[in-house]
Amino acid sequence: MAQLSLKNICKSFPGVKALNGVELNVLPGEIHALCGENGAGKSTLMNILAGNLQPDEGIIRINDEFVNIANPQTAFNLGVSIVYQHLSLVDNLNVAENIFANQQPTNKFGFIRFDKLYRQTTALLQQLNLSEINPRMRVSKLSAAQKQLVEIAKALSKKPAIFILDEPTASLTEKETNTLFSILQKLKSQGVAIIYISHRLEEIFLLADRISILKDGKYQGTFLQKDITKEGLIKRMVGRDLVTAKTASHLQTEVLLSVKNLYGKRFNDISFQLHRGEILGLAGLVGAGRTEIVRAIFGADDFVSGEVILKNEKLHIGHPFQSILKGMAFVPEERKSLGLFADMSIQDNIISGKLSNALVGRWYNHNRVKQLALISKDKLNIVTPGVQQKVNNLSGGNQQKVVLAKWLLTNPDVLIIDEPTVGIDVGAKFEIYEILKSLAAAGKGIMIVSSDLPELLGICDRILVIKKGLLAGELLHSEATEEKIMALASN
Amino acid sequence: MFKKIIEERIYSLLVLLMMVCVVASLVFPATFPTFENFSQILLNLSIDTIVAVGMMLLLISGAFDLSVGSVVAFSGCFAALLMHSLNMPVPLAILTGITGSVLIGFINGYLIAYKNINPMIQTLAMMGIVRGAALMLSGSGVQNLPYWFNAIGQSKLMGIQMPIWFMLITVVVFTFLVNKTILFRHYYYIGGNEKAADLSGIRVKRMKMLGFVLTAMLAGVAGILLSSRLGAALPTMGRGLELRVITAVILGGASLSGGYGKIPGALLGALFMGIVANIMVISRVSGYWQEIILGVILIGTLWLDKALQKKYSGN
Repeated sequence: MAQLSLKNICKSFPGVKALNGVELNVLPGEIHALCGENGAGKSTLMNILAGNLQPDEGIIRINDEFVNIANPQTAFNLGVSIVYQHLSLVDNLNVAENIFANQQPTNKFGFIRFDKLYRQTTALLQQLNLSEINPRMRVSKLSAAQKQLVEIAKALSKKPAIFILDEPTASLTEKETNTLFSILQKLKSQGVAIIYISHRLEEIFLLADRISILKDGKYQGTFLQKDITKEGLIKRMVGRDLVTAKTASHLQTEVLLSVKNLYGKRFNDISFQLHRGEILGLAGLVGAGRTEIVRAIFGADDFVSGEVILKNEKLHIGHPFQSILKGMAFVPEERKSLGLFADMSIQDNIISGKLSNALVGRWYNHNRVKQLALISKDKLNIVTPGVQQKVNNLSGGNQQKVVLAKWLLTNPDVLIIDEPTVGIDVGAKFEIYEILKSLAAAGKGIMIVSSDLPELLGICDRILVIKKGLLAGELLHSEATEEKIMALASN
Repeated sequence: MFKKIIEERIYSLLVLLMMVCVVASLVFPATFPTFENFSQILLNLSIDTIVAVGMMLLLISGAFDLSVGSVVAFSGCFAALLMHSLNMPVPLAILTGITGSVLIGFINGYLIAYKNINPMIQTLAMMGIVRGAALMLSGSGVQNLPYWFNAIGQSKLMGIQMPIWFMLITVVVFTFLVNKTILFRHYYYIGGNEKAADLSGIRVKRMKMLGFVLTAMLAGVAGILLSSRLGAALPTMGRGLELRVITAVILGGASLSGGYGKIPGALLGALFMGIVANIMVISRVSGYWQEIILGVILIGTLWLDKALQKKYSGN
């Protein structure tokens, strides 16, 4: 009898079908791994189980009873507990207050019984072999790994029947990972149903009893761990038709950007060159340090040592204004929070990379801004009733085109794009690929950070693979496959 | 047309102002719509408005300054002391007073922009420090100021008092700068999304510091004008001015979260408050009620604005 059983779960977001007929059966006392690429629908599924999202279709059964997980409180009452990839701890409170947030022991007047709180926390931490963590320690003083363990302890304080972990080992060292695994084995022997989500395949083969695979929101089947090989798993996770076919390369010999021995907080010894007309991909797992590398190159963050040379000129970076002036542009991944002025108009956004484009004579001219925006709108096919609309009202794809339009007006030689098509529907994705290709044809150098492997394989001349902040390998377009990239990026 | 009026606070406020004026003229035909009354209203709000222009700039960039009232007192007292006790020539004393104010703005701006101190805390602390400095400099106040100094605030040009001219010039110059220069356009981007502005190559820290410097400079000018108009520099000048000014600027279309507002809005906001206060004086409403009514108007305006925006912009 399954502890948790999902049948035909579907969930759509505007423009994307995130889940399409997903099934999952988890037994009590089982560690069940859930695998899939970024964007396969794992987090959506998690959020449905946590009560953060409602499925459009499908049924959920817990202990053979049909349930409707309307909100996180319901999930809690049903015994579902989740360790999120992003920490949910409050830095300024101590360990015990965090673990029992929302369920502190109180006396009959409603006051918190701190003695009992600390006793319970100590007992819980001891059970988990985490007695080196002091319950009175402020969370802000803990290391990233310790925070993750406290997060796990917090989830376990609810004594869950179904325990879900999303990339729990991302910030853990080997020692702590082993601690976590022994905790999981113990829970398993107590009959808890565990869903384990991870990119690290070796962990999955070490821990899991069964493995379920998602691809593009579709269920690919469940396998006993001993019945499937690592290669077979990767193939089922990634194998699919290319989104876009690579047309002729426009690669030229001139070096536009040269990065030499760049060291930063989360990456080490990065060296590579970007040529005129080249589309260069940066692949790797989430958290491998790709975004940090490109931000440092652009000057948005400081780096420790090394050189960034743009068109034979060394950049003394400290602020992006210098790299922009010399011909670099950067489209960040978080479009809303870093890339756009969401409450401002399309035209104000488009001009924001280089306000001096709006000068007529000495003075800023609003008509000129509008004209330039209209030209960009036609060129990039931005669908909007007018350029004075707030950019917030546009779809993700059109917002991304606005960001591209903004940088194209600065006439850059080097364009760096972090996750160019995240949250963008398929049609707009294709248009953005076409724009990038035509820019390469026009002699620009383009660098793409992406977790979408078919995207990288489809448009890149060359792919660099980053693993744990290091350059793990380089693949030419002709030799690159998803399997090779995954092999370099994981272990 | 109707939509534009609702979307732009400047226009909706202008319409509201005209309606209030028409009604007041019908009810008080003898006292309200006269040249004397209007020039008195404008004179009364000229000092506030000069400071409000700076405050509008700060609010567009997403910050505000509580120390402006104290800077008004400091600048007047400092300049008066220099003229009175040290016999410094009038222009030099004025310049020194304003320079002192600029220095205060520089300290505010530097600590807020480069040392990440919260603007509210920083300027709240500075408000106390500067008020204390003004008290220390001038004690119970400085009187018997030079004739030429008093002439600045007390004379008229074309029948209109000088402080009104100064106010109009400030509004016109800053309206032009904010509309027509790249430098000042930056404030909208900083207020709209500071991180995105930084990644767009805007020198956010520098611009923020400049905002505080300019605001303090305008407060310094206002302080000189006020003491010249009074013929004396009092350390209590400008008490409560910071909150009046912020109220006016919010009425005039700024948002505490930044990114919104136009310079003429500062004048219109102050004008609206001035006219409402004037009508209450004419209709002999007690002074206690005036503050209550102004508070209610501020909340009511913002609430109505949100409701109308929601209804007509469809989001």
